[in-house]
Amino acid sequence: MIRIECISINYRHVPVDILERVRIPPEAVVPMLPPGSEAYTLNTCNRAEIYWTGMEKQGVFNMVSGLIGVAPGYLDRISVHLRGEDSVRHLFRVASGLDSMVLGEPQILGQVKDAYKAALDEHMVSIIFNKLLHRAFRTAKRIRTETAIGKFPVSVASEAVELACHVFDEIQGSQVLVIGAGEMATIAAKRLKDRGVSRISILNRTFGRAKELAVELGGMALSFSELHEAVRTSDIIITSTGSQEPIITKDMMSEIMKERHYSPVVMIDIALPRDVEPDVSKVYNCYLYDLDSLKKVVSVNFTQRENEIEKAEEIIEYEVGVFSRWLKGLNAHGTIRDLYNLMEYYISEQLEEKAALVGEKEKAILEDALRSMAKRLFNRPVSFMKRYPKLDYIEHTRRIFRLDEDYQDRHKRQQAGTSAGRDSNKLDEKYRGKS
Amino acid sequence: MSIITITSFLYIAALAAFVIMLLSRKSLILLFARALFLASVASHGILMLILSINLHEVPLSSVPQAINMMIFISSLAFIPIVLSRKTYLLGVFFLPFASFALLWVLPDIGLSAPATFRFHTYWYPLHTLSVITGEAMFVVAAVTSIVYLVHEHIIRKGDFHSSVSSSLPALTLLDRILYISVLVGFLAITSGMIMGTLWAQSKGLHLSKIMPKIIAGGIVWIIFAVCLHQRFAIGWKGRRTAIVTLIGFSLMIVLLFLINMLFPHAHGLGLLL
Repeated sequence: MIRIECISINYRHVPVDILERVRIPPEAVVPMLPPGSEAYTLNTCNRAEIYWTGMEKQGVFNMVSGLIGVAPGYLDRISVHLRGEDSVRHLFRVASGLDSMVLGEPQILGQVKDAYKAALDEHMVSIIFNKLLHRAFRTAKRIRTETAIGKFPVSVASEAVELACHVFDEIQGSQVLVIGAGEMATIAAKRLKDRGVSRISILNRTFGRAKELAVELGGMALSFSELHEAVRTSDIIITSTGSQEPIITKDMMSEIMKERHYSPVVMIDIALPRDVEPDVSKVYNCYLYDLDSLKKVVSVNFTQRENEIEKAEEIIEYEVGVFSRWLKGLNAHGTIRDLYNLMEYYISEQLEEKAALVGEKEKAILEDALRSMAKRLFNRPVSFMKRYPKLDYIEHTRRIFRLDEDYQDRHKRQQAGTSAGRDSNKLDEKYRGKS
Repeated sequence: MSIITITSFLYIAALAAFVIMLLSRKSLILLFARALFLASVASHGILMLILSINLHEVPLSSVPQAINMMIFISSLAFIPIVLSRKTYLLGVFFLPFASFALLWVLPDIGLSAPATFRFHTYWYPLHTLSVITGEAMFVVAAVTSIVYLVHEHIIRKGDFHSSVSSSLPALTLLDRILYISVLVGFLAITSGMIMGTLWAQSKGLHLSKIMPKIIAGGIVWIIFAVCLHQRFAIGWKGRRTAIVTLIGFSLMIVLLFLINMLFPHAHGLGLLL
């Protein structure tokens, strides 16, 4: 029985400033992979995760603890180990942004895809993980198109930019400072860049990450020691570090505002916990908005949030079910069974269509003829698989006969003509085209 | 229909058009509102011209005429503001004030009133015009201050999605308009005060006779001087400037009426009676 497992070290259990330094590099994992196994690693500023199949849990724990330089016992405490459907569900939730610090943020999908490309380059993934990752992408896309979850973080970033536009007349000439390389701050900074802001500085505890983001945004990377000067010279400050304590205090801001002759400053604190002391809003000409106040603003357009989460979870459950069925069927016995089921489905479909044209007797003859023909046709792949029960062949057979499509459900959706059905078809086409 | 009626009607029509534009958000109505505003200022200009011809002097010989001049100058100052894409909404806040003040003073400006006073020196009209220009700029500053405080309140509340707030100018732009109008107004008032002193000297007036007005003018002057000083020295921007401007403007209006009510002969033409 094939089982997918996962170790996740994420922001829920580890402070983000520590997490930023934790990485499970794919190139370091490759030499440790035994033949026939697959692995996928995902490293963002909010998580470091490894998914695998065909390896023992203890072996992976030892490998990861060695890579990140901690004792296996400590790794056990700061990480979450998931198995089977739970690990699949977790990956789908991560890819969809449901497990993100800011619900529904879209950047994570790009990071999941980048990590997949890296895994492909390192030949760490094969049939199972190819399927798993494509299913994860599909799930994320479905959630983005079929629910309003994705609108939330975009709305927060847009609102942040909108707020800045209400304060500054010429936003293009404003100096923007992004503190922390978090996803939401990056989205907000990108929005400001889209509005023509050209002077963007990125300040992060890990200078390398600040440099990466600076390159992405066409800005300038700053080290954390330059915080005071950077705040003093900036008009718009977006902060989203993982610090447990506020990094900008009221006293600090009072001093800075004196130095900058009380030129207005818009501060958008999207960190949890807060990076900026709430009392900073009392400092003259400081306009401070934290995630709570932005959420209140956004909630005008996002009142059905709970319903949207429910919808997203339903989609995830559906996709986990589809993937699990595929995984279970990924053996000769299961595939042969699915082939015969498909055969029966086609026969009954044909009989249903012709039911009005033929009588009972003719129907029985027609059924015999169809079954006999189908059996002879299906006999060839079945006997081939029995002789060569390799994963590649099984997978190809499943693809050729489209055994992993839920025919009944697909048929119903096509009949209903829903956008979901159309999207699903398009994605399937795309997937098939790629493969 | 007299030019007074036409002018009053045009100001009120412009105000109505701006209110309708605010509710409907139609660009065509904005265009119409701007046209009405320009027409009302043009009509006001014609009224001033007719008044000057009839009186054979600049129409500044009474309080209604002075207020009328103040509104005319502030309307002129508002033309670029109303025509600007970013600041046109300030017109909505200015027009009620202008319309109300005009309706109040226009019947008394004496379109065909005989000339009551001939100026013996140039200082008097220059002093009066300069002071009234300053006061007109303070009208602009006061309207901008109100808009600033309203907009800032909306931003702090985070409720900026309404049709009104989304069209309000950005705070930094409002602050710039506020600063320029206070600065121009202050310079005009200062030069007006200097010219007023020269005129009083040329007429040989005793300081005791004009003391109430000197004190009142001095108070207003000090308030705006402090406002500008704090801006240059400490960096007072935005809300503080807006609040001080509103205090200074309110005091200016109150003192204007108080002085004219309590000391009718303490200033201007009254001194010579």
